[in-house]
Amino acid sequence: MKFIFILALLLFPVPLHAQFPDGAAVLEKVDQNLNSTTQVIRSKMIIHSRRDTRTVESKSWTEGDKRAYTEYLAPAREKGTKMLKIQDQLWMYSPSTDRIIQISGHMLRQSVMGSDLSYEDMMEDQRLAGLYGAEIIGTEIIDGRTCWILHLVAKKDDVAYHSRTMWVDQERYVPMKEELYAKSGKLLKKTELSDFRQINDRWYPMHMRFKDVLKTGDGTEFVVDSIEFNTAVPEHLFSKAALRR
Amino acid sequence: MITLRLAYRNLMGAGLRTWLNTIVLSMAYVIIIWQKGLLDGWNYQARHDMTNWEIGGGQYWQEDYDPYDLFTLEKSHAQIPEALTGMNPQRPVAPILIGQATIYPQGRMQSCILRGIDPEQTVLHLPSAALQQDIAEIPVVLGTRMAESTNLNVGDTATIRWRDANGTFDAADARVVRIMKTNVPTVDQGQIWVPLARLQQMMQLPGEATIIVVGQDTNETGPQEGFVFRDRKYLTKDFEDMMQVEKLSGYIMYVILLSLALLAIFDTQILAIFRRRKEIGTLIALGMTRGAVIRLFTMEGAMHGILAAFVAAIYGIPLLTMQARWGIPMPDITDNYGLAISDRIFPIYSAGLITGTTCVIMVVVTIVSFIPARTISHLNPTDAIKGKLS
Amino acid sequence: MIVFLIKGLLRDRSRSLFPVITVTIGVMLTVFLHAWLKGEMGDIARSNANFTTGHVRIMSRAYAENKSQIPNDLALLGVEDLLGQLRLQYPDLQWVKRIRFGGLLDVPDSRGETSTQGPAIGLAIDLLSEESSEVQTLNIEASLVRGQLPSMSGEVLVSDEFAEKLKLQPGGTLTLIGSTMHGSMAMQNFVMAGTVKFGINAMDRGAFLADITDIQQTLDMDDGAGEILGYFQDGIYHDSLSLKIEEDFNRQYTHSGDEYAPVMFALRNQDGLGEYLDLANYISFIAASIFVGAMSIVLWNVGLIGSLRRYGEMGLRLAIGEDKRHVYGSVIIESLIIGIIGSVFGTLLGLAVAYYFQVHGLDIGSMVKNSSMMMSNIIRAEITPVTFIIGFIPGILSTLLGAALAGLGIYKRSTAQLFKELET
Repeated sequence: MKFIFILALLLFPVPLHAQFPDGAAVLEKVDQNLNSTTQVIRSKMIIHSRRDTRTVESKSWTEGDKRAYTEYLAPAREKGTKMLKIQDQLWMYSPSTDRIIQISGHMLRQSVMGSDLSYEDMMEDQRLAGLYGAEIIGTEIIDGRTCWILHLVAKKDDVAYHSRTMWVDQERYVPMKEELYAKSGKLLKKTELSDFRQINDRWYPMHMRFKDVLKTGDGTEFVVDSIEFNTAVPEHLFSKAALRR
Repeated sequence: MITLRLAYRNLMGAGLRTWLNTIVLSMAYVIIIWQKGLLDGWNYQARHDMTNWEIGGGQYWQEDYDPYDLFTLEKSHAQIPEALTGMNPQRPVAPILIGQATIYPQGRMQSCILRGIDPEQTVLHLPSAALQQDIAEIPVVLGTRMAESTNLNVGDTATIRWRDANGTFDAADARVVRIMKTNVPTVDQGQIWVPLARLQQMMQLPGEATIIVVGQDTNETGPQEGFVFRDRKYLTKDFEDMMQVEKLSGYIMYVILLSLALLAIFDTQILAIFRRRKEIGTLIALGMTRGAVIRLFTMEGAMHGILAAFVAAIYGIPLLTMQARWGIPMPDITDNYGLAISDRIFPIYSAGLITGTTCVIMVVVTIVSFIPARTISHLNPTDAIKGKLS
Repeated sequence: MIVFLIKGLLRDRSRSLFPVITVTIGVMLTVFLHAWLKGEMGDIARSNANFTTGHVRIMSRAYAENKSQIPNDLALLGVEDLLGQLRLQYPDLQWVKRIRFGGLLDVPDSRGETSTQGPAIGLAIDLLSEESSEVQTLNIEASLVRGQLPSMSGEVLVSDEFAEKLKLQPGGTLTLIGSTMHGSMAMQNFVMAGTVKFGINAMDRGAFLADITDIQQTLDMDDGAGEILGYFQDGIYHDSLSLKIEEDFNRQYTHSGDEYAPVMFALRNQDGLGEYLDLANYISFIAASIFVGAMSIVLWNVGLIGSLRRYGEMGLRLAIGEDKRHVYGSVIIESLIIGIIGSVFGTLLGLAVAYYFQVHGLDIGSMVKNSSMMMSNIIRAEITPVTFIIGFIPGILSTLLGAALAGLGIYKRSTAQLFKELET
């Protein structure tokens, strides 16, 4: 993959590195833009599988990147299923069994509701600045907006994706496209973000498309119906007891 | 001795009837030896193949390893103990590192097991030397079954994705460098063989292994820190169980076949005693004890067994030798059971098998000959001379 | 004359009883052995049929292509319609639906938290409906180790070894965590009604049986099933017939471009079983030939003996002026009658024994390990059309041949000599 960047650099002579802003600072701004103290989000996940397309609706309450609570609303089959993330632990509650099962080990690798996202992907820390070192390697225009091409390399060993490339809107500091790579440099997953809206003082993508590139298929769409930042989230949601309620 | 000669002469005198009985009995000999030889041959071949391809002289398992629980793979690896490293010719070992991965042939996910093995190992017959290739992709060896289920041929590439010991995703293309044909499905189905050092590097587990196969002639199998030794008996248990079932079902055949031959001999004995009442009476009248007469008749019956052994030898030896040389073709459906079975099974006829079978047949033939002869003991010589049977 | 001879045979037991008993036993052994061989050789095919392949198996095309991975996302849908159509079209077969799946079994403690957990292979079959043949097909009743068969929805059977590993007692609750056909996580509570022994190590380590309606619901496979299996009503695989059904069924879909269209495979065309069937037929043919040959020789001998012991009587009959040809004829007819009676009795007895073993089987597993399992250790006899007639070859022909050969003595020996034998 690296040689593509080199190729890109050769074909589109851009100002030298020194003229780019600091990658880490850009990444920090992206983090600030996408993350908040709390988030309440209502969303739809549109899953394109080989055979059909399904839509799963859910509502999530998130606090920082450590605690999250999700309740599924539709379809009827998933309604009432709840998920709780506290630090790096994940529990799932299914109303039909009235049991709370901790999702761990192997199960974390399963896809969420049949999507191209795994539980692990969902568990991932949202703040990238802590995990990755960032460097800007170029600029590119996507959908008429000029983006920094940000190359991220993991600072630690235990990060799921060793490196990422992110196309960040130079003005709004939101990623428009992201690619996740294996340690070997092989492309594993792609994300495309679009339909940016300004909410308060930040820009947020209302539509995302995830794609596991090794697998054939049309990937998974994630559509935000409504999102609120920094509203009060009741503390009681972040307990296992809340799952049964 | 005189009884023996007399018995022989009487038997020969009966002509066709004797030979008919003898032929049937000889068939019992040949078939029993053939079938048992076949089972022994299969047993030998399967053990031989399993030893060569999979279990060697036994395996050290990392203490958490459970081949039936893939979840254990994540933690079941450890540094190869000092005593089991190196290519000591006195003590050859083949460490194998096992990890879970996903292969994407033609864009469809398929779980698989990566097995890292030293290309230079000499313990197992796996064509691991083929892995010694200097190519950009990961060189992999597949069994024919795995090649079929992934639809890959030699020279094809497919992406493999795995996670290293830290949980970081990694993926790379693999190229099939060799497809091996093995009778042992457990080293084939769902398995992808890669060079050990490469896998250790891929998984970030330098110097570690999940199991260590020891050479076939290794006697020292003392405990090693963090590893449990599994001997051949433990590793062939599944096969052992099935063999027992096979053996038992074989016995039904023998019993029916033998009872057929015995029916004939029993019949012959009854007729002989009926037809030769006068002779019996005369023999007793002349002073032969009843016991001696019973012995004579029993001997006559039992001699069928001896004759049959000779007849069986005449046509059985060439027939069975041919079978042992050419083998018996076997279909490969047994894969479903995960049992080792080759394309051809070569029966093995051991000396023990042949003498054992002969002894068993001789004993039952003697018993069957004796039962009708017993009636002689109630015989009144005067009645017998007159031709009456009481 | 025949009536006269039959009367004679009936009244003189030494003339009839003994030969008839011998012929009967011989024929019975031959008939039983033929059925037994058929059954034994077919055992592997049968185990495969019961567990995996059916006599015919229907999958969706896409599922069939990847069947080693049990891709339930590619399963057949609209199964009830298809089953109805199959039952109408091929009433000779019993049609059942099955789902194989993987998942985790999770056993809760008293607070509902996970106490033990293990990966499981699941097989969903029709356990509950009255008309279901599955309990019998898979020999579940006999392989029950603890507890009892599921009697209502929500009950499952777990392999005994696995249940022990999970520390689960009959009546205990467990949660299946699996994945629906759409890939969502699925959870369902079940009660373990009992434990079974499968007899295949891989399954004994972690398999369980559930009712298909429960599993369809759990895995969101409404009206779906991974596979539909067809079994001939008599429980025996009929090769040519199943191939014909396969061809006939698949013809209906040749022009369908749907990758989920059903496609049928006869047992012969699955997992290399065809090759095995051929070999099994060949071996059982050879073995049966050897047996019929051996039995013929034995019965030939019986015929010989039967006539030999009656030389005296023949002498008398010749002496009182009976024609040699007439005597010889009566000997032949008598032996024919004996042969027929013996063969009929023998065949009936042989069939009865074979039938018993066809239905109940011989549980070799219990001889091995003092326990019964579901698979490959119960050997069953198999009655085929050939079984009905095979006994008559040695039964009649050989008895006849024996009598004919021995009867030649009538022509060879002088009346006086034969008459002398009467005295003895």
